[in-house]
Amino acid sequence: MTMHPHSTPPHAAEGVLLSACDVVRTYRMGRVEVPVLKSASIDVKPGEWVAILGSSGSGKSTLLHLLGGLDRADSGTVTFRGERVGGYSQSRLDRYRNEHIGFVFQFYHLLPELNVLENTLLPATIGIGRFEWMRRQGEIRDRARMLLERFGLSHRFRHRPAELSGGERQRVAIARALMHNPDVLLADEPTGNLDAKTGDTILDMIAEQHRAGLTVVMVTHDQWIAARADRTVHLVDGRVA
Amino acid sequence: MFLKPLRFGTLAVYTQLLVRRYLSTRIIPLIAVAAVGLCVALVVIVVSVMSGFLDNLRASGRTLMGDVVISYPVQGIPYYKEFIADVLKLPGAAAATPLVDTYGLLRMPYPGGPNKDVVTAQVWAIEPETFAQVTELDRTIWWKPAASPQEALAMAEDDPRRQQDLSGLYEDAKVLRDRATGRPGALLGMHVSVVNQRQRDGSYRPRNSTWWMPNHEITVTLVPISEKGTVSQSNSRVFKVVNEVMSGVFQVDKNRVFIPLKEGQELLRLDEAPIVDTTAVPDASGNYPVIGTSPARVTQILVRAKDGVTPDELRVQVAEAYEQFDLQKSADPNVRTRPPAAEYVSIMTWEQRLRDLIAPVEKERQMMRILFSITYLVCAGLILAIFWSIVSEKTRDIGILRAIGASRMGVLWIFLRYGLTIGMVGSGVGIALAWLVIRNINAIHMALGNDAPPWLYVTFFLLAAGSAALTVRALTRSRILSVLLWTVATLALVGIGTGLVLHRGFLIWDPAVYYFATIPSEMDWGNAWITAVGAIVFSVLGAAVPAARAADIDPVRALRYE
Repeated sequence: MTMHPHSTPPHAAEGVLLSACDVVRTYRMGRVEVPVLKSASIDVKPGEWVAILGSSGSGKSTLLHLLGGLDRADSGTVTFRGERVGGYSQSRLDRYRNEHIGFVFQFYHLLPELNVLENTLLPATIGIGRFEWMRRQGEIRDRARMLLERFGLSHRFRHRPAELSGGERQRVAIARALMHNPDVLLADEPTGNLDAKTGDTILDMIAEQHRAGLTVVMVTHDQWIAARADRTVHLVDGRVA
Repeated sequence: MFLKPLRFGTLAVYTQLLVRRYLSTRIIPLIAVAAVGLCVALVVIVVSVMSGFLDNLRASGRTLMGDVVISYPVQGIPYYKEFIADVLKLPGAAAATPLVDTYGLLRMPYPGGPNKDVVTAQVWAIEPETFAQVTELDRTIWWKPAASPQEALAMAEDDPRRQQDLSGLYEDAKVLRDRATGRPGALLGMHVSVVNQRQRDGSYRPRNSTWWMPNHEITVTLVPISEKGTVSQSNSRVFKVVNEVMSGVFQVDKNRVFIPLKEGQELLRLDEAPIVDTTAVPDASGNYPVIGTSPARVTQILVRAKDGVTPDELRVQVAEAYEQFDLQKSADPNVRTRPPAAEYVSIMTWEQRLRDLIAPVEKERQMMRILFSITYLVCAGLILAIFWSIVSEKTRDIGILRAIGASRMGVLWIFLRYGLTIGMVGSGVGIALAWLVIRNINAIHMALGNDAPPWLYVTFFLLAAGSAALTVRALTRSRILSVLLWTVATLALVGIGTGLVLHRGFLIWDPAVYYFATIPSEMDWGNAWITAVGAIVFSVLGAAVPAARAADIDPVRALRYE
């Protein structure tokens, strides 16, 4: 039986926003194949904050990449609102990342040549064309400024990432992730590179967005951080324990 | 949803933003821009000068000899007045003039010694009135009144001889005669006399005002050649120098002398002469009976085309007219001296006459274009290398962009656009640089011809001292790269300064070699645009390979890239 790539797979549960079902991902390191995800499944409901807890090498970042459409599973399915993400065309996948997903990384991953405001605007500049930009850039810039102001960065608009502290950089990264008002925030060790106090501030910000209705999937190896989430999923050796 | 994504790819705003930032915040792309700019400037300057040289050659060819030249050297063309009358009836001919072209000796008025008081010259015997209709003789006459008092002042500053009233000389030149005495006059090329000393700025100053040519006489000696090709006894005549001419073609100005046609024909025995019957019994005075008249002859006829008629079209008309003329004269029983047969008479356009000169230069220009096209490959290679390293350095940024939703085509376009921008900016810089150099090429050449001014090398030595101080500072801070760079800068500045101190003026553009007194300084815009487009295309091609590599980068690996 063939299935339409966007059709709802038989296992998709009702009320699930994002899910991975029996996903397998193996990387090739030279001549050696390294199985990272062996058969991992996770369901994320709308408005839920799920923490994926696991030790280093357990495959938690890989699972996040698969959920975010950055990578494709060797087998198994990833679904978003019941649609198989693996069946998306390349351009639909790019749009999925831009429109529905907001990524936050451990090492912030800001573009060093752009200032704070430009980094925040980046998803908007990717997602729309020149004419749309010309028509709406005032409105778009206002949203970026509003986000940055809310995160306490109103005095940093013109600063480059190199001129910011770690906490400030991560706040810019979160503002960038929220710029397009995504459906899901995928955070990969968002506090992993910060001291405890700054990390708490970042988690507070994420919690605030979560309270406002944002669905969050957060990868961490720290169970205290995972405790901030609604639910924790343990990943051990490429499988959900 | 706050924003609905509409466009992914070339028109997205982020590509423009990133290209602008990559260009303005990094040094490496500026090096690529400089490289493209220098390559473009090099090609544009060289080809523009060569194109200008060709244009000058063509322009001078036409202004010096009209459009079509009918030539039969040594023995000349008889009944030329009748033939000229036929030519002037042609639909394409505007004017025609007879000419005797030969080589002779000039005895100059100044004493010998270091000066060459006897020189060889190309003597053109002309009818000044009709010659001026065919060529631009009037434009080339050197000693003439200024068009305005301001010009007169400026000209007098260049050459004090211009302070006097030159209108008489100018009128004498136009009739090639000393109007006061009625004596035949001669027009000398500006470089024939050693008195006129050309300055590096192109003006002339008298080496010795006593020997200003228009005040003096010269003796022209010509050697007639018989029908059998033997040399007869030479003939000499004194001519008053009525003026000098400056065509701009060095070889012409160095060698050519104009004298009136009648005198030229007489000196070469090409004038009208009685034909005697040497087989008859001479009269009491020993003279043979006259049985006819040998017509006067000229060795060339120059024809100017009417506006809108090409030299080639006129040449065909003239060739047909000459065949008719030849047939008509051959059929006439009263004609004793037949004109040379049509197949032996050379009828050429000015371009064909100068073919030996123009064709090699055209080929050289083409060769230069091909050789300099290699610079495009250099541009492409340089950009490829620079972009390859930029893509490696920017791998993680590419991963970030992909994570945010940038498409592979979008990433490809960032680097293609980057290459396009470097090509465009570089080409713009190159064309601007070429324009500046070409516009000032004679001034630059003149500056090279002089010793360097002290302020210039002192400046370089001061900069070298500053650079040396920075080297020492870098040394104290143990910065190896800074030490290396400042050391290279110091050595380069010292080298340039020393070079300037040792520099003794030299001239690259020798007018004796390149025909023209000044370097052509007109930009060849057509070639400039082609060069710019070529540089842009090759810049994009050079960027294409790294751009494709960037587009192929796996975003997951890119995000983990350190």
